[in-house]
Parts: sequence; C-alpha cells; structure tokens
Amino acid sequence: MQSAFMWFALGLYALGMLLSLPSIIRRRPALSKRTLGALAVGLAAHATALAMAGAEIHRLPVTDVRSALSFFSFLATVAFFLVYLRYRITALGVFMLPLVFVLTLLSALHPERPFEDPAFRGGWLLIHIASIFLGYTAFLLTFVAAVMYLIQERELKSKKPHAFYYRLPSLEVCDELHSRSLMIGLPLLSVGILTGFVWASRAWKGPWELDPKILASIITWLIYLVLFSTRLSGMWRGRRAAYVAIFGFAAMMVTFLGVSFLSGPHGYFPEFGSLP
Amino acid sequence: MNLVLVGINHRTAPVEVREKMNIDDARLAGAVANLAHRDGILEGMIISTCNRVELAASLRDAASAEPALRQFLADFHRCDLTPYDPYFYWYRQEEVVRHLFRVASSLDSMIVGEPQILGQVKKAYAVAREVGALNGPLNDVLSQALAVARKVRRETAIGTAAVSVSYAAVELAKKIFGNLSGKTIFVIGAGKMSELAAKHLLRSGASAIFVANRTYGRAVELAQAFHGTALRYEELFTQIEKADIVISSTGAPHFVIEKAQAEKLLAARKNRPMFFVDIAVPRDIDPAVNELNNAFVYDIDDLEQVVDANKKQREREAVWAEEIIQEEVQKMMRRLASREVVPTIVALEDRLNRIREAEAERHRGKLSSLTAEQREAVDALVRGIVNKILHGPITELKSGAGQPEHGHLVQLVRRMFGVGD
Repeated sequence: MQSAFMWFALGLYALGMLLSLPSIIRRRPALSKRTLGALAVGLAAHATALAMAGAEIHRLPVTDVRSALSFFSFLATVAFFLVYLRYRITALGVFMLPLVFVLTLLSALHPERPFEDPAFRGGWLLIHIASIFLGYTAFLLTFVAAVMYLIQERELKSKKPHAFYYRLPSLEVCDELHSRSLMIGLPLLSVGILTGFVWASRAWKGPWELDPKILASIITWLIYLVLFSTRLSGMWRGRRAAYVAIFGFAAMMVTFLGVSFLSGPHGYFPEFGSLP
Repeated sequence: MNLVLVGINHRTAPVEVREKMNIDDARLAGAVANLAHRDGILEGMIISTCNRVELAASLRDAASAEPALRQFLADFHRCDLTPYDPYFYWYRQEEVVRHLFRVASSLDSMIVGEPQILGQVKKAYAVAREVGALNGPLNDVLSQALAVARKVRRETAIGTAAVSVSYAAVELAKKIFGNLSGKTIFVIGAGKMSELAAKHLLRSGASAIFVANRTYGRAVELAQAFHGTALRYEELFTQIEKADIVISSTGAPHFVIEKAQAEKLLAARKNRPMFFVDIAVPRDIDPAVNELNNAFVYDIDDLEQVVDANKKQREREAVWAEEIIQEEVQKMMRRLASREVVPTIVALEDRLNRIREAEAERHRGKLSSLTAEQREAVDALVRGIVNKILHGPITELKSGAGQPEHGHLVQLVRRMFGVGD
C-alpha cells in the first residue's frame, strides 16, 4: 500500500517536471497552476507514504537507504515549494525537480530492508536524524543557489545573453538564497552531529568515534564552516563561495550515501559492523 | 455582420503621407461621430498616431458601404484620395479582428512590444464610445482587443527585454543587484546617454547618486538635476568605493579606472559586486577589470550586443504572441457568429408564426363550424408543423456557429425564408 503511494508520488513528480518545462522555455513569470498542483498532490501522496511507514515502526521512517532517500526527497520537495513561493524563480524547477525525481526514483527502486534493530530508538536519535536531514535539505538549496549563481555570473561576464540570462534570477537573489540556506543548514548540521555523538555514546559500545560516516560528516561540517566564515568576513564572495558550496554538497552526498555502503554500525548494513 | 478596416501604417506609407492623413486629437471625436453617421455605416472607430491612421467600421452591407469610408477620408482631409490609394490596406471580417488584436498587442508596431500603443487604442476606443459610435460587433471586438493585449503582455515576455542602450544598462544592473533600492550610482563625466541611464536607474529604485566631472560646475548642475551630490574630480577616488554602479563617459584619452585600482576598490567593498557602464569612446575603464571577481564591465559595444540579443528575444516572444492571438481570433469569430444567429432565429420564428396567424385568420370562416375542441386541435396541428419546420434550420444555425460556411448558411436561411434585416 505504502509503495503504491510512493509510485503515485513519483509519477506526479515526473508530471510536474514535464509541465514545468513550457513555463521555463517560454519565460513565463510563474509556473503554471497545473505544475504546482501536480507537485502538491505528489507531495501529499509522498507524505502519506512516509506517515504510513512511520506509524508502522513507531519512529521516524529513516531506517535504510530506501527510506532515507525517500525522506530526503520529500524534504527537498517541501523546500522547493518554500523557495518558489518566496522568490518565484520559475527556473528553480529546472534545477530541483529532476533532483527530486531522481532521488524518489532511486528510493522506489531500492529494495526494502525489514527493519529490525532494537538499539535504533530514543529521543536523541530522533533529533539527530531530523536535524541532519533538515541540514542536508538546506545544503541542497545552497548547492542549487550556487549553481544558478555560477551560470548567471558566467552569462553576465560573457556579455552575450543566452537562454539562461533571461531565465535565471539576479546574482543578488542567488546569493541571498545561498547565504540564507547556509545559515539554516550549518546550525542544523551541528545539532545533528552533536546529538548523534550523544546518542552514539549511549547506544554504542566500542570505538564509535572511528565510524566512517561520523568522520565523513565532520569533514563535511568543516567545509561548510569554512564557507560560512569566509562569507561572513567577505573574503570569499560570489564565484569562490559558489565553488565551495558545490564542493561541500559533494562531500555531503558522499557522507549521506557513499559512506553508507561501507561497513560500520552507522551504515545501512549494520550487521557488517560491530553492534552492541 | 460586416467588419471592415482601412488604414496606413509606418510600413505602407512614408511619414509625409501619414502626416497628411493624420486626424489630430482635437478633431477626433467629431470625426468619429461623422464617420458613424454616414449611410450604411453602423459603427466606427478611428485611431490616429504618428505611426498609423486606421478606420474600423461595422457596415450594413459591405459592397455599397466601403466607398463611404474612403469618402469620409476624402471629405475630412478635403482632398482627392486617388494619389494616396496605393498606401492604404483594406481588411475585412476575420482579418479586421486579427489586425485589431495584433495592433493592440503591439505586434504591428515599429518596435514590437512597445507599451504606448495599448494606451492609444484604449483612448481611440473611449472616444468612439463617448460619441455613441460603438454599439454592436465592433464594440465587442475592440473591448476584446484590449483584453487580448493585456493577456499577451502577461503571458509572454514580449515587452520585457530592454531594446535601448540605457534601458539595457538598467536591466543588467537588476540582473546583478536584484533590487536597486539602496544602491549607489557614480556618474563620471557627462553626456546624453549617461544621464539617461542614471535617470532610468534612479527611477528603478537606486537611492544615491554622485556626480564627478573635471569641470566642477558641470558636476553641480547634473547633481542638482538628480538630487545627488557633486564631487570634485580629485575626490573621486576616495569616494568611489561607495559606488555599486559606475557610469563613465569622460573625454579622457586614457583609462580612468585601471585594473589595479579596481582590485583595491573591490577589496575595500569586501567584494560586494560592482557594475561599470563605460559609454566613453575611447574607453574609460580598463576592460581587464572585467576579469576580476565580482566586477562587471560593459562598454558601449557590449550594451549594443545585449540590445540585439533582446530584440531577437522579443521576436521569439512575438511568435508565442501570434499563437495566442490566433486562438483569440477564433474565439472571437465564434462569439460574433452566435451573436449573429440570435436575431436571425428570432426573425425566422417571427416570420413563420405570422404566416401561421395570417392563414388561421383567412380560414377562420371555414373553420367556424368546428367545435372549440376541434379548433384547438387544428391550432395545435398547425403550431406543430411550424415548430417541426423551424427545428431543422434553428438547430443548424446554432450548431454551425463558428464554422467557416456559417455566414453563408445564415444568408441562405434568411433568403430562403424571406427574412429581411
């Protein structure tokens, strides 16, 4: 039943993506109501699927790669709506909707793993997972803003307006989106990492500090910290900040997915690691 | 319904001819009233601008009334129209609707997407309505033309990209800074184009303006005109780091701002972006400044390039606009056709019922020997026949509205059943 909702959501995300194209190509000032409608219905179906999964196991439905991807793409779609409604960037669809679609598709295609770990519970864990994912979503926006900034900046420097010049928002708006999402993401990621330490110190025995995912997330956190402070001081603005944001996003995705395929109690293959 | 439009525009006639045919504002109302009162002309509208003079009318009967339009022009301008005939274009029926929609949407203008034409059409419409010259299909077409024009402007980007150098500078500034409020402009030197660009920037929300010139007096003049601050040329480099936008057009043969200076400026501004508009020839700003992060330098050629690209964009948008207009023209034609049908249907029913009543009257004597019941039955019988006969034509008329042959159908029905106007 749950996966029926997921596939339905996926279909609607795909529909929304296709419907958004004419508005972008034709430089309409806004995405059509049909596009937003399709995406909203898809989001509702997605939320239903997540709610059902959560109700089944009585905790936040992030227990394996499949559910993690699903939760992330859900948050990403919510973020898309928030940013679109605030800034009305029609071209935002080009950058975010395919991402949302791919993430949801990967999630739907990924085999389901029956949830079984009894240690996987607790208030700290809930805060840990929620903050990390919210942080990831914010950094996704930072990434999108950085990409849009770089493209628009190249257009402006080249002095020859091409397709993107007309459809992308101003550098200022890209920059604002970049810094706002960064300012939301970094504290969230920090909270996420700290609560993760708290939970792990209670729930795991053994040298959990050496878990690859934790190490990777600290590296990611450091990259974003550097980005944050250089932006504040004004040392790196514009193009350089955008490059760092993209680099940080790559690190984030490695932390999120890449490391999960390695062993360790943090991975989504807990049986390979050392469990208490 | 007979719609016709006759006119000249900047494409078909040179300015001398347009001048001659122009109907000035003061005499417009009188002219429209005169036109609409002529024999055979039911409604009229005149639009007269520097780029076009057009008369639109709804005629009782096309063939005989078209010359009346021509005669109106000849009378109004008190001249023989023959030498001017080659410059005039004539549109009829659907072509009139399409033309009016295109004109109002600025697709027939010299610069596609220009905003003035809509106001001009609105005014022409208002004047014609005031003198009572619009009360039928032409009225519908014109009010819809205004709605279509607004739709086109809303749903396409036909009027948005800048097609003049000074507007292009504003457009670029907005692409860099987003909102211009709180931004500071520095004008170095003087000149028509830099003043124009500064004016547009201020109007788009820029807050502060500083003017520097080798001649302090000139700087003061300009600063006063813009409610800004004048600077002595020597002060320029101590203050210019405040500038978000620099418009430069001095007569200096060398660079006013070199790359090294710009680097220092950007550092002092903590790398907040800077936009340089270099209108001078020879250039005031070292083009190498564009290589710096967060600095954008556009010289006059670059701005022209942007204008060219924008013009092409507008042309592409115009294609979408034509599609919208095509759809709207079809909708309008269907509306006009059904509007047409109602009087015909009413007249038809009327005619047949009158025949029925007349015949009933004629045969009343012979039917007097019938009982009331039988008379009623005969009455019902005749009504039934009339309704059944009417059913076919009425259904055809209603369902055919909008089809190309519909006009012929209406004429045919009217002719066959002897239904006059």
